[in-house]
Amino acid sequence: MNPSSHLPRTRPSARRLWLWGLLVTPLLLLGLLGAGVASCFRLGADARAVRNELIKSSGVEWRQQIALNAGWLTLGAVRAGLSCVRLDPAARAALQSIHGAGVGIYQLPAGTPPPNRAAMLVSADSAMAARGWERVVGVIDARDLVAVYFPKEISVHRLKCCVLVFDGKEMVLVSAQGNPEPLLEYALAQPGLGAHTQWLAQR
Amino acid sequence: MKTMFPYPLAVAALTAGLGFNVLAGLSPGQVDFGKFTPPGDGGQFVEIQIKSNLLSLAAQLLEKQQPDAAKLLRSVQLVHVNVVGLTDENRAEVTKHVRQIRHDLDPQGWEQTVLVQDKNGEDVGIYTKTRGGQTLAGLVITVIEPKGEAVLINIVGDIRPEQVAVLGEKLDLKPLKDVGAALKDAAPGK
Repeated sequence: MNPSSHLPRTRPSARRLWLWGLLVTPLLLLGLLGAGVASCFRLGADARAVRNELIKSSGVEWRQQIALNAGWLTLGAVRAGLSCVRLDPAARAALQSIHGAGVGIYQLPAGTPPPNRAAMLVSADSAMAARGWERVVGVIDARDLVAVYFPKEISVHRLKCCVLVFDGKEMVLVSAQGNPEPLLEYALAQPGLGAHTQWLAQR
Repeated sequence: MKTMFPYPLAVAALTAGLGFNVLAGLSPGQVDFGKFTPPGDGGQFVEIQIKSNLLSLAAQLLEKQQPDAAKLLRSVQLVHVNVVGLTDENRAEVTKHVRQIRHDLDPQGWEQTVLVQDKNGEDVGIYTKTRGGQTLAGLVITVIEPKGEAVLINIVGDIRPEQVAVLGEKLDLKPLKDVGAALKDAAPGK
């Protein structure tokens, strides 16, 4: 058997592979880009779960105003892009702290009576508890409802948080994850922090 | 097919396990306030429950800049606050609930440190449970303002009485300062 006789046979197959690679890679990149862009308009899984439960339990047709989500890739790109730009220290600290964030705003149709806030809180609690989260703060006052959730298992470097706010007309869901250290370092370095804390404490 | 698993034993073990869990679930200084139903429209309802996971995280974050505050946070296991707005519909029920909680504290080894009942009906009670007579295992503050709200606070941990005062001073919170001062006065050796 002549070893050189293999050469003419492998060359076309290698070429074919290259051709396929050239064809498939842009398609894959396009698909990934599409999925990435689509994910920017879709809430994260935890916020989505609480939203779905609230919509289901309230029995009301909520109108979605906005749903935006920025994951680690998007925010990482923003961080990298702004690394050479002179930014306000607070903005830079926030950018360094937040590794992922999502916001969804939903509105009740005009004339629809607002759902019972206590029942909304119970629904949100059960949806989040099923995903390993627990409510740290719950406030119902006049027409407003505010709930803050954290996962049971938390770590400083990957802290997650989910906030629900309902003012009787609009429901806002915010989820974020990141490392709060840079933001806290910035906040603690502020000379006026003591006065702000006192003001807050007196409220 | 006959099973080899002894069901009565399993049921007994499960029941005992659940019983131990319930007993082991609460720290010595922790008080179960029960469930409060948010009042109807216009009524205020606040529930804050900061557990040891978040407290130790906060302590970790403050370690470098404020080591004293971090140390204080590490000594606290739980901060539980309930505020229920009193309306004509729930006033009697909530007041009864809060008084029942206070009544149940005494046989559980809690000591009434402060009790103030003024002519306007405002009723403030502060209860403490000590650990070895030196530190506080728990602190309960109950406030009933008949024309306002009912407030229940439970702080659990291994807290030195003077730390409560420091916390009150740092935050400039008069009720906590008063509690701290009262606890200092009631401290052993005073």
